[in-house]
This record gives sequence, structure tokens and C-alpha cells, in this order.
Amino acid sequence: MPGMNSGLNVDDPTVVAAFRSALLHQAIIALAIFAVLSVVWVSVRERHDAGTAGAEGAARCPAEPAGHRVLRIGFGLLWLLDGLLQVQPGMAAGLPSRVIEPAAAGSPAWVQHLINWAGTAWSYHPIQAGAAAVWIQVGIGLWLLAAPRGISGRLAGLASVAWGLIVWVFGEAFGGIFAPGLTWLLGAPGAALVYVVAGGLLALPDRSWRTPRLGRAVLAGFGLFLMGMAVLQAWPGRGFWQGSQNGQPGTLTGMIQSMTQASQPRFLYDLVSGFESVVRGNGFAVNLVAVIALAAIGVAFLTGRRAVIRPALAAFVLLCLADWVLVEDFGFLGGLGTDPNSMIPMALLAVGGWLALTRTAEPAAVAVAGTAGTATAAAPAGAGGGPAAGPDTAVPDTAGPGGAEPDTAGTGWRDRVRPTALHRWVTAATFGTMISLGAFGVIVLGAVPMAAAQATPTASTILAESIDGPAAPINIPAPDFTLTDQDGKPVTLSSLRGQVVLLTFLDPVCVSDCPLIAQEFRQAGQLLGPSDPHVKLIAIDVNPLYSQIDYVRAFDRQENLGGIADWKYLTSSPARLRQVYHAYGVPAETLPAGAMLGHNDIAFVIDAHGELREELDFDPGPGTAATESSFATELADAATQTLHSS
Amino acid sequence: MISNAQPITRQRRARSWRSAASTSAPVRRRARAGVLAAGAVLAAGTGLAACGSSVSRPAEAAPSAPAAAALSAMSAAPIANATWATVPMGAVAGPNEFWQLFRLPAGNSRWALETPPDIATNGAILLAGQSGPGGGGAAGKAGGGATAATLTAGVRPSLDLSFSPITTTADGGHSWVTLPPESGLANQADALAAAPDGHLIALSQDHTADVFSGGNGSWTTLTSEHSLAAAPGARSCALTGLTAAAYTPSGTPLLAGTCGRPGTAGIFSDTGGTWHQTGPALPAALAGRTVQVVRLTRIGTQDVALLEAGGPPDASLLAAWTSDGGQHWALSPVLRLGGSYAVSASFGGSGGVAVVLAGNRGATLAGPGNSWRQLPALPAGHAVTLALPAAGTIDALAADGGTLTAWQLRNGSATWSKTQAINVPIQYGSSS
Repeated sequence: MPGMNSGLNVDDPTVVAAFRSALLHQAIIALAIFAVLSVVWVSVRERHDAGTAGAEGAARCPAEPAGHRVLRIGFGLLWLLDGLLQVQPGMAAGLPSRVIEPAAAGSPAWVQHLINWAGTAWSYHPIQAGAAAVWIQVGIGLWLLAAPRGISGRLAGLASVAWGLIVWVFGEAFGGIFAPGLTWLLGAPGAALVYVVAGGLLALPDRSWRTPRLGRAVLAGFGLFLMGMAVLQAWPGRGFWQGSQNGQPGTLTGMIQSMTQASQPRFLYDLVSGFESVVRGNGFAVNLVAVIALAAIGVAFLTGRRAVIRPALAAFVLLCLADWVLVEDFGFLGGLGTDPNSMIPMALLAVGGWLALTRTAEPAAVAVAGTAGTATAAAPAGAGGGPAAGPDTAVPDTAGPGGAEPDTAGTGWRDRVRPTALHRWVTAATFGTMISLGAFGVIVLGAVPMAAAQATPTASTILAESIDGPAAPINIPAPDFTLTDQDGKPVTLSSLRGQVVLLTFLDPVCVSDCPLIAQEFRQAGQLLGPSDPHVKLIAIDVNPLYSQIDYVRAFDRQENLGGIADWKYLTSSPARLRQVYHAYGVPAETLPAGAMLGHNDIAFVIDAHGELREELDFDPGPGTAATESSFATELADAATQTLHSS
Repeated sequence: MISNAQPITRQRRARSWRSAASTSAPVRRRARAGVLAAGAVLAAGTGLAACGSSVSRPAEAAPSAPAAAALSAMSAAPIANATWATVPMGAVAGPNEFWQLFRLPAGNSRWALETPPDIATNGAILLAGQSGPGGGGAAGKAGGGATAATLTAGVRPSLDLSFSPITTTADGGHSWVTLPPESGLANQADALAAAPDGHLIALSQDHTADVFSGGNGSWTTLTSEHSLAAAPGARSCALTGLTAAAYTPSGTPLLAGTCGRPGTAGIFSDTGGTWHQTGPALPAALAGRTVQVVRLTRIGTQDVALLEAGGPPDASLLAAWTSDGGQHWALSPVLRLGGSYAVSASFGGSGGVAVVLAGNRGATLAGPGNSWRQLPALPAGHAVTLALPAAGTIDALAADGGTLTAWQLRNGSATWSKTQAINVPIQYGSSS
């Protein structure tokens, strides 16, 4: 997919170093956020009467439902793990090519177009994008872990939904549901979608978790899904019934085979390749087991009968674990793994649904200590161990962070944001609330720089610097010359005093680098915009054999440079051109056997006084859209800085 | 942790819930019906999804008429007292494939590398020979009045180069003089031709025929495929595409193409601004076949055409010669190709023709009045060009990576003899 890939080596040292540096700086800011919140919280609580605070903050909340807790903690930890996986050094430069692009392979053109947009956006700003993925996921994980209930907990669930959807669409190409070869065994319909569902459940009001209806609905939905997956798995002609065919691996065999090629410990490789051999030799039997298992478990979930669901759930969890090891190969080993794939989230979701069906929270009122710092209200006696009995003691859905909140009945929003109300709120807030706030701050820490970067249409200069290094400062008079432009008019460098000149050397019959450099100059010209009259973009024909004006004109037409107001492509006689090459240290070497003229790719920045200020190594590298934009930005920035300092 | 503080309770009337077991029967039945209905819908949807997401079968190719494929630009021809040959070397395709130009001086036995410098030849090199005095010609003027016979080379567009540099040499490749670039030579072996006076004609990839008259001029459009097809003198051909450009010995432009009307050889000459059909009348055996002029070139004082009638599995080749601009043609016997097809063609000084056929085979024709001769299996190589440097001598230039091996088949011999090996310093990676 054109444009998506920055073209850089995944382990490019410049990008890796910049990524690490950005993460380190942002980690310090994140720690500062937590430190400030902690100091504020402790200070306010110490000033206020601790006993009063405890009494006012007494939790009147029932215990967190077991299903809710399993989902919250389970997916909180998963988001944390996913965030930490994003810290891999190669993630910044490698995610589009190693993760996004393969995920979209085989999908329809409209999906690939969508994915290409996202991949290109990442390629343009790899540092900010990589860091954003880290902090957003870490923040969501912390938030889920710290906010067991109330508005904060629901918002954490919504955050999980929002980011999960983004990952599902752009990172997993809709979980591959539009590509051939869809199978539950390898993660259909996408791990991120499971995160979305879990987040949605966590975002439901507390009262939804007080009855078995939710659990029943979750399991019924799961049942329908698994039955659908069984149908898909059983569908003929998709290659799953054959372990091998005509010497070629069947669909499932091939998928497992690709897993064995990931870098992983030897014992794991042996395990997975052993299973691959089993599937290759017994494809029909393996698929039959998978189909029957999925269908049976699905039907069991649909019945709603606990006696049937319990063993089915156990079987489902075992099936998930087995698939996670033998087929998905733990999901994140080798290459750039971003998450442990779908089996663990699926198992968590099923267990959560079961607990929601069988273990709703004890609705009876509870007496809790007024001690500050008790993040979760004490569980009612016996709660969490069996079905509740008796009337609910419901808690208002607008319970504040940590569930402890002063009685604000009858107050408007203006009253709630008054300093006294805020003071009371902070006093009553629990430690978990502060962590939740901090977690939200971490999410913002990741999201804002990326959003700001996306507001600019050009790529980060880090790409150009990683290919060619930074510009080399020089400070000598630029050698003068008089050459002829593409319109046949004479141009003397000294006549351009008062303007900044961006100078390069281009071969008009070049087949690769020079057209790319010309496009970078063209983009730089467009970026300079209002500064344009004070900046001249000049190229000198570096091929003495092809120095006729017809060739520079043909090149200008080819590269659509006619619309750039201050573009000059200069040429002259071979002898005069060689004098200019010598003055600027530009070699022009004839190479044998049909190779184009050998010359270096270089650009100079000449200030308004005619002084050479910078020399940029301008090898365009892979010539992707991202690197072209990056070089153009580097050039425009150099011109602007020189203009302002002249 | 539970403390001794006064319990604070807040109760509100809540709907009591019942276990699943105690749900009333009608409710259970309705619930089950709904679930089953949803399940049926889901299964149907899944089935549709399975159909859509099944391992994709390749779309069945729509039946289509056999396409007339252009011959490769690999070729050899006698120009300027030497035999020149073009061969692709390096990689089989892509930015590491570089076309090379070789020269065998008349009477010499050693080929020499003479690829034009300072231009990447990832696109094919097309040759045009200007025989005779070149004082008034384009190359002569551009070269400051050179009068020797001139070779003109054009390089086809490739990679990021979208136009065609044109360069000439009058001293056997030791030095080159540049002419104005052409907008982009078409992918035809005879897309470039030179008149005896040095004028040039080119087929462009935008389906026009352009001419260059020399001096400080530039390329101008002579005609277009569309205009030629509509010309009164050419209408009966039902032209479907231009395939070759040439000049008669008197300097009249010739264009060739594929006629939609069966049994018609599409060769046209421009007389005073009017195009008229001037191709040979074909044997009755080819009356019902679509005929493509795959080569048309001037060799000395005659124009030579190579015609391909029909296509696999029933293609035939036919050569034709004319010395008077197409008024009279001499035809060769028909060479039936069966399931094979022509890959490239080369020409000799006396109008001889050598054809490389698919399957590492070849055939030659000594000239008008002669019969086709099948050649022994050609030497191995990823690209093989035949050359006819002298009467009775056939050279095969076989390229394999950066090595060119010259083989020779002498008169009466049934085996190829290796005569020379040239290591060409291919500059891999220089174009990427």
C-alpha cells in the first residue's frame, strides 16, 4: 500500500533513540502528574478533619459484582500489558509495515484505503504515534484497575471502547473479517473487538450488574457468536478440512506454520511445530473437533441453564488456552507483537458473563469504616460467594469516584464546581480516585502530542535525520556562478543577494533519486508559502552530456515544476558546468554499463548575504510519501531559520 | 474493613429478581423463540459471510482475442560499417536490468561494449541507423557537421524517467552527441528510425508519430494513430495500433501497424502529406488472418518488414523486402510457428532476417529468394540475441547476469562455437 510505510529500517537507531527519549520524558511527566495529585490529595485531606472526612466519605456502595471485577481487573491488566508491548524499540518505525499492513492484507480496497490513511499518519509522526499508543493503553489499564465503580469506572469502560475501536479498525483492519481465511482459531473477529465489548459492559450502570440478566445476555451473545464461528469453520471450500492438499499445507496448517517462524524459545517452537504436524496429518479430525467444540459450547451458552453452562465454560476456557498456546503462539512472540491476541480476552469475557449470571453483588446495605483510604467499600458479609437475597440497596449511578461522595442531591453543576464543593470532593475522594485522575492524565499525555502532530500535514523531520543525519553547518561565501535557466535567461548567484537560496544538483535524465529530490524541493516550495518571495529554489544540471535546455525543460515537465514560482533549473555548457561542480565539491562521475551519472545528493542553504550556511546530505532514501514530506519539511525549516537569522 | 461505626443504610424499593428457574413458562417460550430466531438470522448471516470470506477463487478470465504482443527490443542490425546489437543484462527485470549496446566492426571478430554513457539504460535501447552521407542530417548538425554514418540510440522510459533521451555517435561509440529528448518512445523494437539525411521519426507512447528535422529544432508530431486510421488512404486497414516506423531509402516516412481487417499488411507511406497504404499483398493462405507488422526497418537500400499472421497456436511469420518505397515487394516463404511465437528479430546487411522463437529456438532467412532455415537450439542465457554480421555467419549473443557470451554458427555447421565472453560491469543498485 503506497504511502503507509516510512521505508525506514524498523530498528533505525535514530528513530529508536528518539522514541526512547520521548518515552522517558513523558514518563517523567506522568510521574509528576501522579506526584502532584498525591500531594494535593494528602494536603487537602490533612487540613480537613480526618474523622469528618471519613464519616462524610463513608461508602454506601454495595460490593463490586464479581463479573464486573473480573472484567475490570482482567482487561485492566491486558491494557497495561499491551501498553508495555508498545514500548518495543522497533514499534515507532515498524508498526505500519510489520503490523498494520499485514493485518490489512487480503482485505477489500476500501479497507486497505482506510488502513493506508492510518498507517501513513503513523509514518509521518512515528515518535508521537508510538508514544501515544504506549500512554493511552497504560492509562486505560491504570484507570480500569483504579476505578471499580461509579462515573469514573464507567468512563474508564468508555475509554476502553473508544481506543479498542480505533485499534480494531486501524490496527486490525476490522479484525480481518473482510479478508479470506477468517477463523476463530486465529483470532476472529479481532482481539480489540473483545476489549470493546468488555469496555462496553464496564461502562454500563451499576444497576445492570445487579441482576443475572446481563450475564445471561452476555453468554447468549457469546453462544450465537460461537455458533456462527462453528458454521464458518465448517464451511466447505475454505481449506480448513484439509491438513494438506497436493503437498501444500491446508489453511489452518499454513497459519500455524507461519507462527513457527516467529522468533521464540525452542520449547515453544517444538510445541507449536508439533501441533502443526498433527494438524497436517489429521486436518479433518482437528477441524471436526473445533467445529463440534464451538457449536456445543455455543449451544450450551444459549440455553441459559447454569448446569449446562458451567461445564461448557470450563471447556471453553480450556479451548481458549489450548488455542492460545498451540495456534496463536501466545500472540506476541517474535516480530512486533502488540497484544496476546484474542483467546485470553475471550476467556475473560466468558468468565465475566458467567459470574454476572451467577454472582451478582449483595444488594443489602453495608456498614463501612469511615477510614480514609479505603478505596472500595467493604464487601457485605457473604457477598461475592453466592446469589444475593433480599431487596436491593441500590446506589445512585452518579456515585462519585471510588463510590464515596458527599450528598449532592438538589445541587446544580455550578454548585458542584465551587471551591468548597471541590474541596469536599477532594477530601472525600479515595486513593483510587486520584489514581484514576492520574490515569486520565496519562491518556491525555499520550493523545495530545499525537493530535497536535496530526494537525500538521507534513512529516516529522526525524525521518530525514535518520536517513541522512542532521545538517552540517558551514560558514563560507557561496561560490558565484552565471548559468542559464530553463527559460533561457541568465542567472547569476550574486544577483540573488537579499534572498535565501536552496541549492541542489540534479541530473535531468536520472531514473531515481533526482526526481524524488525535485519533489521534495517542490513540496518545500509549497510549505514556504508566504516566505516564498524571499526564498529561491535552484537546481543545477549535474550531467554535462545532457545539458541542453531541452533536457531541463523535459525534467521540469516530468516533475510538474512549472507551477513553482521561484524554481530555477540552471544549465550551461559542459565546461562551465564542470567549473561549478568543482567549486561546490560535487562530483560528476561517468559509470560504465548503462549506469546513470554518479553524483552525490546534496543541498545547500545560502543566506541573504551570499554565505553558505548549511550543507544537507539529501539522499532521499526509500522515497516514500513520509520521507519525501520529511525532507521537504527539513528544507523548508532550514530556509525559514536562515531567513529569520539573516 | 468493617468498623464499629453506626451503619448507614439507604434502601430503596427495588424490583426483586427471580432466578431463571422461576421464570414463567410463556416468558421462557418467548425468550427461546427469540433466541432461535436470532440464531437463524446469525447463521444465515454467517453463511453469507462465509461465502464472502471463503478462500477466494481466482476470477474466471473472460475469453479474449489473442493479443498481438510486441517483439522484444533485443535486436542486431548493420549500421555504419558495423553490426550493432542490444541485449538486456543484469537482472531479468526491474531496476537492476540494464540494456547494453555491443558493436562488431565489419571484418572483425570481437564484440565490444559501447553502451551510451551517463544515462541509465533500465529502459530498452532502440537503434536507428543513418546510412550514407550525414552532412545535412540531424545528427550531423548536432555533432557539428559530422559526415560519417551515424548511429542514433534512444532509451525508453523507465522507473522515474518518463521521456526518452536521444544520443548519437558517428565514431563507433567512442563519443556521443545528445539530441533533444523525445516525449517517450513506444514499446516497439522499431519505434525509432533515421532517414539517410539524418531526420528522425519516432513512435511515442502516447500513440503519435513524431519527427525531428535537426538543428535547433525539436520534436513535432507528424501524425497520430487515430488520424492515420481515419486517413482515406489507410481506412481500409482498420488500423488498431502502430508498431513500427521507418524511412524509405529516399527519405519518405513509413509507418506500420496492425490492421483489423484480416489479410492486410498495415504499412503506410507519407507522400506529400497524404498517407496511403503501401504494404505487400499477402498470400491467399493468410487471407483470413490478422496481420501485425512486428518489424519494419531500412537496411541499406531496401526496407525489410517482418509480418506475423494470426497468433498461437497457429501463428506464421513472413518477411518482405522493398527497394522502391513499397510499390513492389518480394515475399519470403511462410514460416509456420505452430504453438510457438517470435521473441525478437535481427537483420543482416543483405536483407537477411534472424528470428529468436520461444523455446530457445531460432530461424534465419538469408534474404529475398531464400527459404527459412531452422537453427540448432540456441545457447543458454536469460536473453539471447541473434546477429548476422556477415553472409553465412550467424552470431548468438547470450546474456546471463553480467556475462555476455558470443557464439557463432558457421556456414554448414550444426553446432554453436563459443567465440568470446565479455564481463560487463553491471552497476547493480545504481538505479534504486
